[in-house]
Formats: sequence, structure tokens, C-alpha cells
Amino acid sequence: MMSHFRQAAVIARRDFIATVATPAFLMFLLAPLFMLVFAVVGGSGARMIADSGDDAQRIVVVADAEYGARIEAADARIRPTFPGAIAPPALERRDPVHEAGGAGAEAEARALFSESGIDVAAVLYDVPDNPRLLIGPGADRDADYLALLADTAARDARSGVPPGEPVTDIAREPFERTSATIGGQQSLGFTALFLLFLLTLLLAGQTVSVLAEEKGNKVIEILAAAVPLEAVFLGKLIGLFGVALLFIAFWGTIALLGFSALPDSQTMLARLDPAIGFGPFIGLGVVYFAMGYLLLGAVFLAVGGQANSMREIQMLSLPITFFQMGMFGLASAAAASPGSGLALFAELFPFSSPFAMVAKGASDPALWPHLAAIAWQLLWVSITITLGARWFRKGVLKSGPSVFRRLGEALRGKAA
Amino acid sequence: MASAFALTAQDLVKDFGAKRAVDGVDIAVPEGSIYGILGPNGAGKTTTLRMLLGIIDPDSGTRELLGTTRPRSVSDRVGYLPEERGLYPSMKAREAIAFMGALRGLNWAEGRTRADAMLADAGLGHAAGDKIKKLSKGMAQFVQLLGSIVHRPELIVLDEPFSGLDPVNQERLEALILAERDRGATILFSTHIMGHAERLCDRLAIIAGGRLRYEGSVAEARATLPIQAHYTPREDSPALARLLPPEAVRDNGGYVFDVPDSGMEALLATLLECGHGVAGLSLERPSLHDVFVKLVGEETVEKMEAEADAEQAA
Repeated sequence: MMSHFRQAAVIARRDFIATVATPAFLMFLLAPLFMLVFAVVGGSGARMIADSGDDAQRIVVVADAEYGARIEAADARIRPTFPGAIAPPALERRDPVHEAGGAGAEAEARALFSESGIDVAAVLYDVPDNPRLLIGPGADRDADYLALLADTAARDARSGVPPGEPVTDIAREPFERTSATIGGQQSLGFTALFLLFLLTLLLAGQTVSVLAEEKGNKVIEILAAAVPLEAVFLGKLIGLFGVALLFIAFWGTIALLGFSALPDSQTMLARLDPAIGFGPFIGLGVVYFAMGYLLLGAVFLAVGGQANSMREIQMLSLPITFFQMGMFGLASAAAASPGSGLALFAELFPFSSPFAMVAKGASDPALWPHLAAIAWQLLWVSITITLGARWFRKGVLKSGPSVFRRLGEALRGKAA
Repeated sequence: MASAFALTAQDLVKDFGAKRAVDGVDIAVPEGSIYGILGPNGAGKTTTLRMLLGIIDPDSGTRELLGTTRPRSVSDRVGYLPEERGLYPSMKAREAIAFMGALRGLNWAEGRTRADAMLADAGLGHAAGDKIKKLSKGMAQFVQLLGSIVHRPELIVLDEPFSGLDPVNQERLEALILAERDRGATILFSTHIMGHAERLCDRLAIIAGGRLRYEGSVAEARATLPIQAHYTPREDSPALARLLPPEAVRDNGGYVFDVPDSGMEALLATLLECGHGVAGLSLERPSLHDVFVKLVGEETVEKMEAEADAEQAA
């Protein structure tokens, strides 16, 4: 057994160095940067387009100057409570041309929707005695806001308080929260789950390309002849796991430095504090990443071992990717309903277990389920590697076409 | 008591689907010997070697490698050059050899030192720092061979080691095999080229169609066929044919026939007595080629030779 680990370590060392000591690795390491740049450029472009559309949007009140002043005062008080993306469209007042309550007033309001230069979301007219709202498609929220302004203006008028003046003087005192919120913990759990899924999917898939290369230059057959395939499998997984850890350490450090530089990072940390504590949570995150990576990597290796070309490998990788997305969905559902039967299933099912358990760590303080889960996942890693190696042995050491080609031939034979 | 054999196998059988690749092969490789497995392509040589080394398990039969029935447990004491040729193209020759040694438990630094020495001994010292992709096919193959023996194994198993090598590298390889034997290693190799087997092997097995056709020394193999007499009479006549053994055939104005079990003396006396005289007489011990032809058939041998020629041309 020790010689298996020693042989695995030799293969891992070779794979790690061969991967890291190439110019291509720099591209691989910086790949998220390209993704980030494209996301920022694309996102800001989309934002600019969306903003330009938002700038043209209006909610309109058709009223005289006196009523308009009350509405504008109410808008000035209430609007700050809807910041940023949830802010209602800008308010615009129009002098009425027709008498309130008549057909002309309604036609006047309707005509505003056809006006060029602005996109009218909702119009308030026939004010103040018989206020009516004309609501554009999908603008119910904007209409509600306009109704709130009208109501506030009416209350101000009846109370005799000058428009925009507060009735009470409320003392304000900021409070720094030091304990975690339930929402914060759940968000942290889901973020960790998503990050784990993304990294596992991106990095475990690499094992297939290594295998494709080695099948191409026949090295895999030399290795398979020299050392047990279980050791070859384990070595390849560990070697590329090292590459993955290097990748994570690099970006993890950058993310940590970036986060520390934020002005309210400590407050944010306090809000997010996972139930088992930050130290154990990060440690478990690394362990669960290792488990997820080894499980998925072993599956990729085993399936990739049956393929004879890059095309076959790509075709075979797709179902595994979909399967993994299914596991992500299952673990996400489990994270949303902790303690449920679904959550228990996701925690027990080997391929979703690492994701479900990392999310559990954010909201459940118990440590023993993690120890049990790690032992359980280790067992499945061993099973997957052993079965994968056996299947792989048949593909590599027996001459003739791949399993899939033989299957195809068998099916064609049956059809004939 | 230590076994006198580095490797033994009894009644090895292996099926791939409906095809029987190896059918009841027995082999015994004495320690410190050079042992050859000779057979045409597809005879079951590679499958036999893989079973002997525990890379694949036989469907039935037993095997013992370096005193154990669990061959993989002694893999560090074995050097194996598989039939497939392959190395990491971006690895330097020295590193490739050290890597193969490290897989067998050899320290990396020691592996590099030995690699440099072995490459120098093989006349390839200049290539130690070259990447595999820069080497010729023959040189790369030689590097792979050195990688399989860098850890100084007790047993060296080479699957078709001469295949793909030019005559210069074939000579190098023969010298290397003899040197390893002198070091005390046992060498087992498969080949479909009879010349190498005849020159190098102390013992050999001939396999065809998955079955063992012969097992023993080269001399014993040749002794399985009678010595051939090439006789040219001074006076030929139709009556002469009646004096010779019935299977005698005409050949270049003379006759070729197997030396009778009773020897040549009585036959010669009769020929001289009848006035046929002796213009020429030579006795020829059969070659391994002759033995092989008898065992596997002329057609198979011609095919093997054509394959060997094509390989050489490539």
C-alpha cells in the first residue's frame, strides 16, 4: 500500500510540475481575470443601456402648482428610502389643460403615454378631489409609489403641517451588530456552495484533458504497465489537485486582500459569521473541495479512460457536467431547507454531499456531522477511484476498440 | 530454499471475449539466464508477459515471480519495457529515466546520476539534456529502455525490445542485455526476430496461436530436428535414389536428406561400394529458423519475416 502512495506521489509530482512550469499555466491562472474584465465591461455596457432607458422613465402628476408642490415635497421625503436600482422613475408635474373630472382630463392623461422623449410609467390626474391613476404596462410598483405620494400629500393638507415637514423629531443612533444574521449565514452557505461547485466543475474537468494527452502519446500505457492503475489514478488526481490548490490559493489571497481593503469589512464579517466559526468553516471548505474534486475528477478520469479521442472525451464530459449541475441544484435546495428530508438526502448522496455539507457548516454549529460526512465521502472517493481504475484498466490494457465503439458495434449487430 | 527460477508459470489461460489469446502456456525462466519468447505477431506473447507480471490476471493457471505468487508485490524488483513506446515529449531524457526509476522506488537524484552514466555508456550522453520530442524514434526508445532498468532490477522483462530500432541501436541493445545478464539480472524478452533469440537466449519458448509449441534451450530446439546431409555423388544414376533415405530430395545436382538414426557410416559404405563415390558431403545442424518453420508452418514464418523486413525498412 505504501508503495502505491509513493508511486502516486511520483506521478503527482510529475503532473504538477509539468502543468505549472509552462507558459500556458499563467494563462490558466489569469483566466478569471479575463472573465472578470469581460464581466465588468459587459455589465457596465448593459448597465449603461439600462440606465439610459431608466433616465427616460417618468411618473407624472397632472396638477396645478399648489398641489404639485405638496406632491414634490412628499417625493423629496419618501424617495431616499428607495435607493439605487429600486428607485422609482423621476416625478414630473404637468399643468392641467382640461377641467378635472371631465373626459378631457382623462384624454390628456392618456396622451402623455404617447409623448416622445419620455417613457411614462403612470399618470396621476383629477387631483385633489377625485384622484385617478392611469397605469402603464408593468408599472404597478410605480403606480403604488405615486398613490403613496398622493396619499401623503392629502394627509399633509389635512393635518395643516407644511408640505415636507416631519411631524415628529426622531433621535437616531447607529448600532454596530456583532452577531451573525440568519440571512447572512444562509447567504454565506450558498456562496460557499456555489464557489465549491464552480471550482470543482472547472478544475476537475482538467483531469480529462491530461488523460487525453497521455492516451495520445501512449504514456498512460507505460504508466499502467509500470505501476498499479489505482496509483496512476490517485497520482493524477493529486497532481492536478495541487494545481487546483495553487489556483485557489492565488485567487483566495487576492480576494482576501481585496475584502480586507473594504471600509466595513469587519462589520460584514460579523454579519456573515458561520455557525461553526470562520476558521473551521474555511478548513472544512478546503476539505469538501478536495472531496468534491476527487470524486468528480475520478469520474472524469474513468470515463475519459474509455475514450480514444478528444471528440469522444468532450462528448463524454457533457453528461458529467449536467450530472454535476444536478448535484448543485440538489445541494442548493438542501441549503434552502435545512433539516428537511431533501437536505438529509443531499448530505448523504456522495456526489452532492460536499456541497450540501459546506452550506450546512454556515448555519449549523455541530461539528460531528462534518467528521462523519468526510469519512463517508472518503469511502466514496476510494470506491470511485478503485472502480474507475478497474474500468480504465480494461480500456487501456486490452487492445481493440473502446467500450463505446464496441457498444456501437454490438447495437448495430443487433439491429442488423 | 530459494527457487532456481526467477519466474515460473503453469497452464496460463486468458480469453478476451470469445477469443482465446493464451491457451495453457508453461514457462520456467532460470535465474541469471536470458530467456526469449519467440512467436509471430498476435501469438499471445504480450498477453503472456502481462500475466506473468501481474498487469492482468490469467483466467486460469498459476505463476510465481521472484518467489511470490503476487507479482505486483515485487514490481520494484522488476524492470519492464512494454510493447507500447511512449514518453512525455516535454521531458528531458535524463528526467524521463529518473522518473521511471522513481516509480520503482529509486531516489530522484540517484536516478539522474545513473541516467547520465547509462546514457553515456550507451553512447547517448550528448542527449541527456535534450527533450524527448527532439530525439529520434530509436533514441527515444532506448531512453525508455534505460528507464525500465535504471533501478537495477533482478528481473528485466522486455516486450519486443528490438522492434523499431535501427541496426546500430539493435547492437547496442544486445550488448546491454548481455551486460545486464553479467550484472546478475535475469532477462526475459519477447521477439518475432529469430536472429536475436538465437544469438542471445539461453532458453526460449516458442508460442503460436496462443499455445506453447516449444520450451527449452536453443541447442535443444535445434536437436529436435535431425541433422541434414547434403550429398553430391561422383556418379549419379536412377539406382542411387533407392540407396538413399526415402525423403531425400534433389538439390543443386545432389541430394538433401536427414541423417539416419544409425548414422552416416553404413550409408556411405553402401554408396562407395555401389560406385557412386562422394563428390561432396556436408552435414548441417538445423537452424532455429528450421525448427520454427516445423513448429508454426512456412506461411507463418514468411509472414513474420515480411513484418520484420517492413519494420526494418521503416
